Amino acid sequence: MGDPNAEAGALGGLPYVVLAGYLLMLLAFGVAGWRRSTDSEEDYYLAGRGQGWLVSSLTIMATFFSSFALLGAPGMVYRDGVVFALFSLNVPLAGASVYFFGAKIRRVGQARGYVTPGDMIADYYGSPTALRLLVALIGVLYAIPYVVMQIKAGGILSQQMFPGESSFEIGAIVLSIITMVYIMIGGMRSVAWTDVVQGVLLMGGMLIGGLAVVATLGGPGPFFDKVSELPPKSLSVPGTSGFWNPEMLLTVCLFGSIGSLVQPAQWMRFYAARSTGTLRRSALIFGVVLTACFLFGVMLVGLGGQVLYPLVDAAGEYYTNADGKLLPNPAVGDTPGAFNDIMVVVLKERLPALLGSFGAVLASLIMVAIMAAAMSTADSNLHSMSAVLTRDIYDRFLRPKASQKERTWVGRGIISLATIVSTLLVIVAHRSEVDPLAMIATLGLFAIAFSSQLLPVTFDMLYFRKGTRQGAVAGMITGLAIVFFISPFMSLDLGQGIADMRKAMLGMIDKGAWGLIGNVLVFVVVSKFTQPIDQAKIDEFAKVADAD
Amino acid sequence: MSSDEADKRRRLGRVLAVAFVAALVLGPGPGLRLINPDVNDSGAVYTIFGLPKVYAWGLFWYGVELAIILTAYYKVWRPDGEASESAGNEEESHG
Repeated sequence: MGDPNAEAGALGGLPYVVLAGYLLMLLAFGVAGWRRSTDSEEDYYLAGRGQGWLVSSLTIMATFFSSFALLGAPGMVYRDGVVFALFSLNVPLAGASVYFFGAKIRRVGQARGYVTPGDMIADYYGSPTALRLLVALIGVLYAIPYVVMQIKAGGILSQQMFPGESSFEIGAIVLSIITMVYIMIGGMRSVAWTDVVQGVLLMGGMLIGGLAVVATLGGPGPFFDKVSELPPKSLSVPGTSGFWNPEMLLTVCLFGSIGSLVQPAQWMRFYAARSTGTLRRSALIFGVVLTACFLFGVMLVGLGGQVLYPLVDAAGEYYTNADGKLLPNPAVGDTPGAFNDIMVVVLKERLPALLGSFGAVLASLIMVAIMAAAMSTADSNLHSMSAVLTRDIYDRFLRPKASQKERTWVGRGIISLATIVSTLLVIVAHRSEVDPLAMIATLGLFAIAFSSQLLPVTFDMLYFRKGTRQGAVAGMITGLAIVFFISPFMSLDLGQGIADMRKAMLGMIDKGAWGLIGNVLVFVVVSKFTQPIDQAKIDEFAKVADAD
Repeated sequence: MSSDEADKRRRLGRVLAVAFVAALVLGPGPGLRLINPDVNDSGAVYTIFGLPKVYAWGLFWYGVELAIILTAYYKVWRPDGEASESAGNEEESHG
């Protein structure tokens, strides 16, 4: 990246003012949420099940989109070209899933007083121990990487906005402490209200970022004229790196959407919605508006980035490192992870030059939107992880007779502990050689691969109702084992043959898909040969779930 | 709602679900091969109507997905509970 001091000078002191105002507003929402709260667990975790359509739609959207939406996605388009813009087509599917899953989950949750996904799954399959623990494990496996990633993204952004010796650490700490405080004091109500602000900022940032790049290049006509002159690999499939073959793109779209929609934080948002109509509207807003923000907004930043900061040198050769990995233009960065910086570089270097002080205000707002994207995902995941560990572990196995007040305070303790540990992890990792793109993209995609293992039981409970307890347990264990096998978490040396197989699997389709294939096969086969769930119980469940 | 209407709604729901899956397979899936320019072909055309072909393909399938969601919203997804709907949280103050 260019001279940091020059970049900081381009925006002046504005980012400090905008960021301070934003953080103070979040704390105010935390206090407002606390003033309306009661001591009940249902209130702390589900805001009394009274969320209307505006709050529901924006908190679902803000939870769905992490910093990946504003850093990773344009970074991927900047690296691979137009092919990754089609990743936007996962969003309408996610929107439809809000109704497809959410409406039934809400009805049953409301009728039976469920708070976590484990409550419903363990109850339906009659597995108070094994399935509840597995579902809790999936919840934690999803939440921890996401929380860590968002705190890390806050540090990276701080480094870009306020270059300095310890700016990364300060950014990561400020983001995590403020997030922790408003979740702890106001619970779901504060999280959802701050998500409304963060969701609006996020969508505004996505659209303004795209418009800014198009304007920088002279408007839509000249923009696409210049994009059309990009290297052929940038305009075709599988993209510059060769990774995005159509099967990979399709499966990442599938699991990026529905896998994210069944993770615990979203599941709890379905429970918290006031009515089916709330989720129906949320589904529409999600599918229509958010996709547009991607296709007509943030994805254009990546394409414009390739025009403004070409990936090839004067001789037409791609910039690469010693390992042959693609690198961005030297003006953007000198590591493979620096593709993620394209949004920030474009904002800082182009927007003030184009629009003067108004451009500096816009750039500052989008920077804060990136922070908002990170915080809105971190808060939802910390909050849901607290619910999962309190309801599914502490309440069931450690202190079954604990009062609601005690459980709520234990939940708060878990939030603070998880935040502190995650922040320390991020700061320690920052001092070693960690690739930020790998952190943001890879860990995020593995988290979804884990949460996708909830899909077979979710479909079965809500639609098919043919599975058994043993089938659900065996399927979930198989799915998780496969994802672990192909993930970087299992870095044991198992020989060249296994390593090659793992590499081939990862190059073909999304990792979540491999886990899901094993999960479904085992679930179906074991369910065929084990004792079905009592029909009266299924009928009772179906009567509530299907009551539309 | 009569059972005839409910059947119609269910049938339309199934048709839309199939159409949505088709849009996914054709849009960001293997259907991309139908329009993907061959980088080894010196005569390959990369744009259509001034837009990169792959991007235009994505926009088209976004339109299809949008149409399916709008149809589902108005014709399949039940608006129960809409009457009492408001934008924010219920007023449950316990300061």
